Amino acid sequence: MATFSERMAPVLILWLAVCLSGTWAVDKGNFKTCDQSAFCKRQRALKPGESPYRALLETMELTNTRLTLQLINDNNKVRLLLELYRLQGNITRVKINELKPLKPRYEVPDVLVREPPTEPLSLLSQDENGVVLALGAESQRVIVSARPFRLDIMEGRDVLMSLNSRGLLAFEHLRMRKDTFSYKVTSTVASVWDNIKRVFSSQADPEAEKKDEADSANQAETTKEEEEKAEDGMWEETFKSHSDSKPNGPSAVSLDFSLPGVEHVYGIPEHADTLRLKTTDNGDPYRLYNLDVFQYELYNPMALYGAVPVMLAHNAKRTTGIFWLNAAETWVDISSNTAGKTVFGKMLDYVQGSSETPQTDVRWISESGIIDVFIMLGPTPKDVFSQYASLTGTQSFPPLASLGYHQCRWNYNDQEDVQAVDAGFDEHDIPYDFIWLDIEHTDGKRYFTWDPHKFATPKEMLQGIMDKKRKMVAIVDPHIKVDSNYKIHNEIRSRGFYIKNKDGGDYEGWCWPGSAGYPDFTRADMRAWWASMFSYDQYEGSMENLYTWNDMNEPSVFNGPEVTMHKDAVHGAWEHRDVHNLYGFYVQMATTEGLIQRSGGVERPFVLTRAFFAGSQRYGAVWTGDNAAEWDHLKISIPMCLSLGLVGISFCGADVGGFFKSPSTELLVRWYQTGAYQPFFRAHAHLDTPRREPWLFGPENTALIREAVRQRYTFLPYWYQQFYHTYRSGEPVMRPLWVEYPQDPATFALDDEFLIGQDLLVHPVTEEGARGVTAYLPGKDEVWYDVHTFQKHNGAQNLYIPVTMSSIPVFQRGGSIIPRKLRVRRSSTCMEHDPYTLYVALNPKRTAEGELYIDDGHTFNYEKKEFIHRKLSFINNSLTSINLAPDAQFTTRSWIERVVILGASKPSKVTLKTADGQESLIEFDFDASMSVLTLRKPSMNVGDDWTVVLQ
Amino acid sequence: MRFYIIIAAIFWCGSVDSRKVRGISSSYKRFYRERKSFLCIDGSKIIPFEQVNDDYCDCEDGSDEPGTSACPRGRFYCTNLGFRPHYIPSSRVNDGICDCCDASDEYNSHAHCQNTCWNLGQRERAYVEGQMRTLDEGLRLKQQLIEEGVLLWREKQAQLRELQQVAEDLQIKLEEHRRRKHEADQLKEQTLKELQAGDSGLRHQNNTVTGIFQLLDSNKDGSITVDEVKAKVVLVHDEERVLSENEALGLLGGGHQMDVTKFQHTLWGVLTRGDSVKIKDAHGAQGTLVGEDPYLMAADRAAEWMATKLKKVEEAYETVNMEISDLQKKLAIDYGTDWEFLFLNGQCYKLKVYEYTYTLCPFNQVTQKNTAGTEVSLGVWGMWAGTPKNLYNQMIYESGEPCWQGGSRSTTVTLTCGTETALRSAKEPSKCQYIMDFQTPVACQPVLKQRGIHSEL
Repeated sequence: MATFSERMAPVLILWLAVCLSGTWAVDKGNFKTCDQSAFCKRQRALKPGESPYRALLETMELTNTRLTLQLINDNNKVRLLLELYRLQGNITRVKINELKPLKPRYEVPDVLVREPPTEPLSLLSQDENGVVLALGAESQRVIVSARPFRLDIMEGRDVLMSLNSRGLLAFEHLRMRKDTFSYKVTSTVASVWDNIKRVFSSQADPEAEKKDEADSANQAETTKEEEEKAEDGMWEETFKSHSDSKPNGPSAVSLDFSLPGVEHVYGIPEHADTLRLKTTDNGDPYRLYNLDVFQYELYNPMALYGAVPVMLAHNAKRTTGIFWLNAAETWVDISSNTAGKTVFGKMLDYVQGSSETPQTDVRWISESGIIDVFIMLGPTPKDVFSQYASLTGTQSFPPLASLGYHQCRWNYNDQEDVQAVDAGFDEHDIPYDFIWLDIEHTDGKRYFTWDPHKFATPKEMLQGIMDKKRKMVAIVDPHIKVDSNYKIHNEIRSRGFYIKNKDGGDYEGWCWPGSAGYPDFTRADMRAWWASMFSYDQYEGSMENLYTWNDMNEPSVFNGPEVTMHKDAVHGAWEHRDVHNLYGFYVQMATTEGLIQRSGGVERPFVLTRAFFAGSQRYGAVWTGDNAAEWDHLKISIPMCLSLGLVGISFCGADVGGFFKSPSTELLVRWYQTGAYQPFFRAHAHLDTPRREPWLFGPENTALIREAVRQRYTFLPYWYQQFYHTYRSGEPVMRPLWVEYPQDPATFALDDEFLIGQDLLVHPVTEEGARGVTAYLPGKDEVWYDVHTFQKHNGAQNLYIPVTMSSIPVFQRGGSIIPRKLRVRRSSTCMEHDPYTLYVALNPKRTAEGELYIDDGHTFNYEKKEFIHRKLSFINNSLTSINLAPDAQFTTRSWIERVVILGASKPSKVTLKTADGQESLIEFDFDASMSVLTLRKPSMNVGDDWTVVLQ
Repeated sequence: MRFYIIIAAIFWCGSVDSRKVRGISSSYKRFYRERKSFLCIDGSKIIPFEQVNDDYCDCEDGSDEPGTSACPRGRFYCTNLGFRPHYIPSSRVNDGICDCCDASDEYNSHAHCQNTCWNLGQRERAYVEGQMRTLDEGLRLKQQLIEEGVLLWREKQAQLRELQQVAEDLQIKLEEHRRRKHEADQLKEQTLKELQAGDSGLRHQNNTVTGIFQLLDSNKDGSITVDEVKAKVVLVHDEERVLSENEALGLLGGGHQMDVTKFQHTLWGVLTRGDSVKIKDAHGAQGTLVGEDPYLMAADRAAEWMATKLKKVEEAYETVNMEISDLQKKLAIDYGTDWEFLFLNGQCYKLKVYEYTYTLCPFNQVTQKNTAGTEVSLGVWGMWAGTPKNLYNQMIYESGEPCWQGGSRSTTVTLTCGTETALRSAKEPSKCQYIMDFQTPVACQPVLKQRGIHSEL
């Protein structure tokens, strides 16, 4: 790296000039506020209650599966087409597009796993004011009101959700550029041209003529208004030195949703904010626009690297969700009629019974595309997860090793460095599975290559890592160095795969390599080619234990507007504006496909991405980007990953230690302790920071970090089973408490503690100098056991837990059985055949149940039913293992070495009954002070049927 | 492969009698004597002897499972006959990776481990021998360098004394020269004063009304005419031009003649004001007079000569003093107990790593040069920073070129024993923090030799 500054100077200077304000905080001036984003400003200026839209009931068509209906804007007579579908699994889809758009408007492809299957709709009643439809079998109805247009979804007598109830539906129709102050001359020519065109088109299309008449009738009224509006950046917009040419003019869409009875909404990641979303009345809306934000600031609604336009609404009775399928820049406003009220005020309302129902109003605004919204009607949180999963798929089932610990740094300097770090882990007896290489491993930031001096023999290096049963990740970013001696660049250029600029040439921007092109990942043929680049013969120096990391895929363009791509760049028929938030999704999709293909479809891929969209969960892991070594950044990692989990992306983590700056030793240790209980567990550090491998902070701290990482490894069977579960169900692995305790309002805003699955509750220590934490243990009839001391605590209480530097407050739910592997070895792969210890935590009814999932850990053979899936249950003093997948086949050498029963009483004897009818006595040990019964070496194979009886 | 297992098995069976318990060293055998029960070594628990190495962890300290991976805190003893025995964590027993060179840790795994102890031992012995030779040679060279160091030290001390003597001499000379210059200056001053005194009579005369009048009155007829004015008076700003008739007339107040009384009240005033007209060559007069004086010229030259000589002596004195302070600074550095590191001062050692050339000039500075020729300072001599046992195995160079994110570059140089003095490696593990491996005989320590002999046994 030596004088990195010299080599990178041009790029850095540029980057710094673009991004750096010289302080340790985001330079907000580099990113737009709603006011600086013309469409957001225009849309936000609309006032509620003045909807110009009217449903033309006479145009209604109802087939078995869909309802269509035209809407008319009474101000400009432009007609919209509304489509309404009832989808299987209690989902309603509402699509609104222009009836006859000037040219097609973008509809997001590839995000839905399939065309969602529909269910019949039926007409209940109809009059001149509206229509009532029955939604499926439940007592759900949708009421379409005509004037103004409005949709209400009801269940029984309750309104679940209303659309356009505030009249904020707005649909900027595509239009020809009209006469404006500055365009008089050109548009005179244009209008002549228009007239000529009209002559021809009217012959072909009488409809269009009618519309034109309407248009021209309207024109007189609207001209003045439009002239004014044109100055608001309808046809051109400038931000800082960047201008956006907007050849299609205004094209924004917007719709409001009212959620009666709702005070808590969640989701719409990625934001560095609390789990519970805040109201946005007094500031900017939450923004969804994938951006490379340098040194992002916490607790605000600014856009970050990824965008999932999914919001969950929750109250004690019901959970619902809104999925706004639009990939353009999007802003989400949230307001609430109770937001301003104090707790006392709310109580007063309650006591006096005078209050209006609490209600949250949400409004979505997107720059282009159409309105395509999926209303997921729950009613439970888990129903919403499965509804959303039915649309966009579930988390891909990761290779087991990727749930271990990842050691990363920008950068490990050379092969010798890699070897030394690898050896350091063995010397200090700390397990790890993956070591990572950042951009400096390449030959001059040319991805798919290796630095000829520092990484001269990559296969030798990879073999060395493989000998330890460990793996490596190397970065492959989507910006491609413009260099005619670079194979990848030449191929992309000659195939015409680059994104084009507005003038038709290859788009070029600045990124790590200097001048770079950006492949058009929205093209299927481009993605197929990209995937083929990962085959072992194409990607020289790669081996089967080399995996991939896609960074900078927002895309990051150092000299672009807001450090990203110009919106008027061109992807075939579409503008970058239309597809922006999808770019990172496609990059990861293509890369993942490449890793699958290189093994002939046998091995599971592992790809980490920074940018993401709805559906990205299908392709791998995400992390929260370039955070900083600060306590607040440690704290925010919890709500950030919880929010991602709620919208399907379970494989989430934050850079342990913090990317920018250098953590204090205490912060680093606490971060390891927190990260060990978050799904994606990777330490990472900026190039400019001092080294921070776990053993560099004295033996005491090395021991603390070792212990945290070892705890992670003992829980790997549980993590793996949780990931299998989320792959099947879409339920988040790391989940907020309210998901499991949806009726307990005390859990609704908690985001300093979380659950892994339903059985482990984690309240990491995230305060500097903490002497204790207060954890809320939920569940009136529940008990929780400290996983370290086995001490039992009652549920539904705030528990103060004194802590020392070694404390990681983690609790196992009474009523659960968690399989663990206590023989922590160098890597997860080394532990493959190890025996299990079952932790049976009894609830007050003296029962417990859990699951155990085992497969080979790295192939797709689980799809061919090669796995073991067992249900473990403890009831009536018998612990039984039964097969949950009798049609599945897998054999393992792993056996059960120990069963630890928490909350047990002392038995007189313990008997093991196996499937062949054999009975044998089992030795045990009982700790009366803690009520812990330990069964010694029952030794049955984990794949077998068996029962252990306590007498 | 199976063949090896059989061989290993036979070998194993053969040794079972002497070591029934797997994974312990002979010094621990006493804890594992076969009895009915086994007491965990930490005394915490008694278990039946069958439970030793039964792949279940009973003892908190892991002592019941020295030969399996069952205990998290356990350790396994690799006998490694032919090589060095050592302990590995229990977690490496049967993990599919060969850790003990005698393959004893992978007795129940799919790993195809070979017994490599003999080879390793051979290599180790060769290595140790090489190290020994290096050490011997290094120590011999070190002794030599110590002797040279002592000589060098003495030489430097002598040089210092010599320089100090020179400085003293120069000091005397300097004072002498200062005195002489002072004298010469005084002489010059005096001569000048005398000359000016002689001259001033003339000047005084020249400056009186009548004096000037007489000067202008070329024909000495008691009145000044136009022609006389034209001959002697010039414009201040244009001495070359002869005054015109009218201008001369104007100066004479319009009349063609002027007597001394009128002169005193008119033209005299104009001339003494001196802003428009003046007497031709009036100011050159004194210079010409002084310049022509031979005494003054001699005194001036003498003073200048003395000034030059003094300057030379002053420069010499300064140079010597600088040398003295350099040398003193150099000699103030800690060069080890026997001045053995002294010879490094003044030397530079280079190493090329990828595209960079690193230069270490001990006790001076560290630099890095890229292929484009840009040189960056990686630090200047800071201090010794070795262990308390051996202070002299690490050097720190600090305050190099500033870094992007604040702070400045620094280099830590580790000194290792070798027969040559050379820079062996240069790395930048963290941004702007460099580490170097510097080999030199003077880093050789006899202690290392003893340790080496131990390990050979």
